[in-house]
Amino acid sequence: MEWNISSLKDLEHYFWRCTACGTCRSAYDFGPPPFTRPICPAGTEFGFEGYYSSKGKAAFARGISDGSLTFDDPEFLEAVYKCTVCGGCQNQCQVDYKPHIPEVIEAMRREAVKSGAGPMPAQKNLVQSMKNYNNPYQGPRRVRMDWTRPFKKAKTPIKDINTEPAEVLFYVGCTGAFNKIAQAVPQATARIFQKLGVAFGILGESEVCCGSTAMRVGDAEEFKRVATNNLETFKTLHAEKGVKTIVTSCAGCFRAIKKDYILSSEYNQMMDGIEVLHTVQYLHRLLKEGKLKFEKELPWKVTYHDPCHTGRHLNKFRVDNDGSELWEGAYVSVDESECLYDLPREIIKAIPGVSFVEMDRIRGNSYCCGGGGGVMTGFTDWAGKNAGLRIQEGMETGAEKMVSICPFCYFNLTEGAKRISSNITLHDLTELIDLALPD
Amino acid sequence: MTEIPKESKVDPRITKKLREIMGEKNATAAKHIRYAYSYDMSFVKPKLPDYVVMAETVEQIQELMRFANLEKIPVIPYTAGTNIGGLCIPERGGILLDLKKMNKIIKIDPESHYAVIEPGVSHGQLAEALYAHKLRFGWPVGPPSASVSSCAINHGIGGLNARYGLNSQEITSMEVVLPTGELVRVGSCAIVEDAWHSTLPLPKLDGLFKGWLGGTGIVTKLGIGVHPIPPFLKVFTVSCDNVEDMYSYMLNLSNYEICDDLTAVSWWLAQVPIPYPYREKPDEAPEWFSFANTNSFTQKEKEAREEIWEMVVDEEKKKGTSLKVTQYPEEALRARTQLPSQIVGSTKNYCKMAGAGISWPGTFTPANKWAPVYTEWKKLLIGHNLSPSVRMSMYRGVHYGMLRAMIPFNKQSADETENARRAIVECLKIDLDHGGIPYKPPVDFGQEINKRAHPGYLMLLRRVKQMLDPNDIMNPGKLAL
Repeated sequence: MEWNISSLKDLEHYFWRCTACGTCRSAYDFGPPPFTRPICPAGTEFGFEGYYSSKGKAAFARGISDGSLTFDDPEFLEAVYKCTVCGGCQNQCQVDYKPHIPEVIEAMRREAVKSGAGPMPAQKNLVQSMKNYNNPYQGPRRVRMDWTRPFKKAKTPIKDINTEPAEVLFYVGCTGAFNKIAQAVPQATARIFQKLGVAFGILGESEVCCGSTAMRVGDAEEFKRVATNNLETFKTLHAEKGVKTIVTSCAGCFRAIKKDYILSSEYNQMMDGIEVLHTVQYLHRLLKEGKLKFEKELPWKVTYHDPCHTGRHLNKFRVDNDGSELWEGAYVSVDESECLYDLPREIIKAIPGVSFVEMDRIRGNSYCCGGGGGVMTGFTDWAGKNAGLRIQEGMETGAEKMVSICPFCYFNLTEGAKRISSNITLHDLTELIDLALPD
Repeated sequence: MTEIPKESKVDPRITKKLREIMGEKNATAAKHIRYAYSYDMSFVKPKLPDYVVMAETVEQIQELMRFANLEKIPVIPYTAGTNIGGLCIPERGGILLDLKKMNKIIKIDPESHYAVIEPGVSHGQLAEALYAHKLRFGWPVGPPSASVSSCAINHGIGGLNARYGLNSQEITSMEVVLPTGELVRVGSCAIVEDAWHSTLPLPKLDGLFKGWLGGTGIVTKLGIGVHPIPPFLKVFTVSCDNVEDMYSYMLNLSNYEICDDLTAVSWWLAQVPIPYPYREKPDEAPEWFSFANTNSFTQKEKEAREEIWEMVVDEEKKKGTSLKVTQYPEEALRARTQLPSQIVGSTKNYCKMAGAGISWPGTFTPANKWAPVYTEWKKLLIGHNLSPSVRMSMYRGVHYGMLRAMIPFNKQSADETENARRAIVECLKIDLDHGGIPYKPPVDFGQEINKRAHPGYLMLLRRVKQMLDPNDIMNPGKLAL
């Protein structure tokens, strides 16, 4: 299987399209009223240009390409990894660099890994764990099933798709499976599916990491290994177990399968007949079809945090690759229709009793929780501190609950709430849905 | 490929001291950080600072300046780095002082109509805060993240030029740290601590810090006049086939002083983005477009302004000019009436097609010289395969104003950058010889200004600089003295 993963050299033209204007530094909307807020977690924390947004990353990329900056310098290596790759800066940029910003950042990291210097030490453990255990959490395979214990106890076991056919594969993801706090997410998802009678199964101990974390920290080889394995598994499940839909509650897995797996030369062939959905998309369909009916009231004041991976990372950019429309490599337009902005909000608002309030920074201008791009592993303290800033923003709305659709955000924001001793509690949207459904 | 900045000497003793003054996290000599400050969007060649520091308090800046003055180390003030004159690129290394953490809006006085801000306050930030009081400022066509203070003290242009004057004319008071570390105040705040309403009737000492390109001190607080937002906007848009006819219209309309912004742009600048390299204008397209923003408090006032404008249009048509009432290209109009804007800001409309680079001969030029200068610029720029993307804006109550050509170029290519630089410097010489003066000038421009300057002016300039900055540490070299 061939993979079309760009090198920094391939992207040189694009990071030279950055004008260094700094528009990327803050979220801005003319309105009226005008709206301006910080959008870059690294810039907010570290302040110096270079750390700041896509302008700074273009400087780093130029420095690498002209030989001024090398990964022998541990401070520089660290700076390249001190970015959540959240895409907040990308949302502001107006020039041809825009569609390629996260790619440039990750390409620098791939250079760092290729040089032997990257990723950061804690991230190296993560990648080694993937090699050893097929997950980044150093968890033995059998532990992957721990989250299913309540189902066994309740004598409502979850189907193992390796042995029993099902139309829906619930791809759990490593964070939901191994992270004690985030286990609430797959548990709520599975309970909802059972309540609704969805014919679904899981891969159980044989589930392999989606590869998102490896890709985010620049280890393209490890990503390719697990992604190739998963594409082959998906194809087999479709052919032999009747899987037509892959559903995941993990924003990272969803982003990887939707946006990273398509870099495979055989993606279309391997995924023929299979639809990939985030749980929210799947449940929203059922809501519209009248099959998802809420009965219980949740008298909660709720705000919603848009994860980067289910939001602006799903932007589809139109680039004039052959120069027939504008000029070669011109950024033409952006299509936000695949970003999951409205669906979670519509579901939240449909839950009886819920009072919904918005934070200032939402949708494309959502402020990253601070956990993405390998930061939660590489710079745990900063990730928690940044999450505290987001929690503070949530508190300013008067909400008691912050809801999201990503186990990474769920975990990191929970840490952030603890850090600032906030009373706000984190919930995955599946937890609200589960609670609002009849038993 | 564009030039790689040359390595500089870093002294660990200096780094240590800077960390003591600014705080451990606010001072660095790391190469990758210095590299990120070594260039901007202009043709000015990249140069590395030796150290970068971030200030959080006035006291830190004072201590830094005392130390730098003692050690005779250059200090380059920096807010957002969005100027297009290379003003924050160090000519002689030194300490780059990043002020963007000092971003508090200290006060908005909605009754007296002024605001007091720190240097890191951005246009976007202030626009939001002022809007809550239904107030506004002269937002430039720069990025929303650009600094209000830096724009104002460097005689930046804003969208209310024709009504209230340049942004530097809006300055009401200042607090400044001198290159020797003393804290000074000019304007009413010098007499009463909390009074920031006016630089008059005291001696206009604010002139010591305006237009000096960061060469005389660090402005740590700035008072600026702010104005109510009239609810009725009307934009008058016309086109002409030639610059002479457009000048005639602007001259006529400006006599009535009804516009907040009276601007004309050549066809090339009306495109989003500016064509790069030069592309011929379609024969049927007019060569000049004008937008004139008027804001009125009542419908009747708006109608009165419309009446005046219609009278001017009739008069111009009777003269037999090519003036037509026309539609301004939609996105370009939005970019110039919805400020601050991400569409402009030296990005999408300016550089998108060329890639990374933008510079200008940006000048204050007598209006009666606009047409002859434009005609020469056009020929010269086309000769360099560059679009003559020129703007003319009339200032408040006078017949002079901004004449500038926004020249994008491909910064990845050293040859294309040099081609643009040469053309721009040649354009500047033409304008200087017609009585124009460049604002926010890169050193290449400073040299041309000084060649033509009265010896007494240069002597005075040197003497004032020497008085305020005896060791020539404040952004040295930028005045090309």
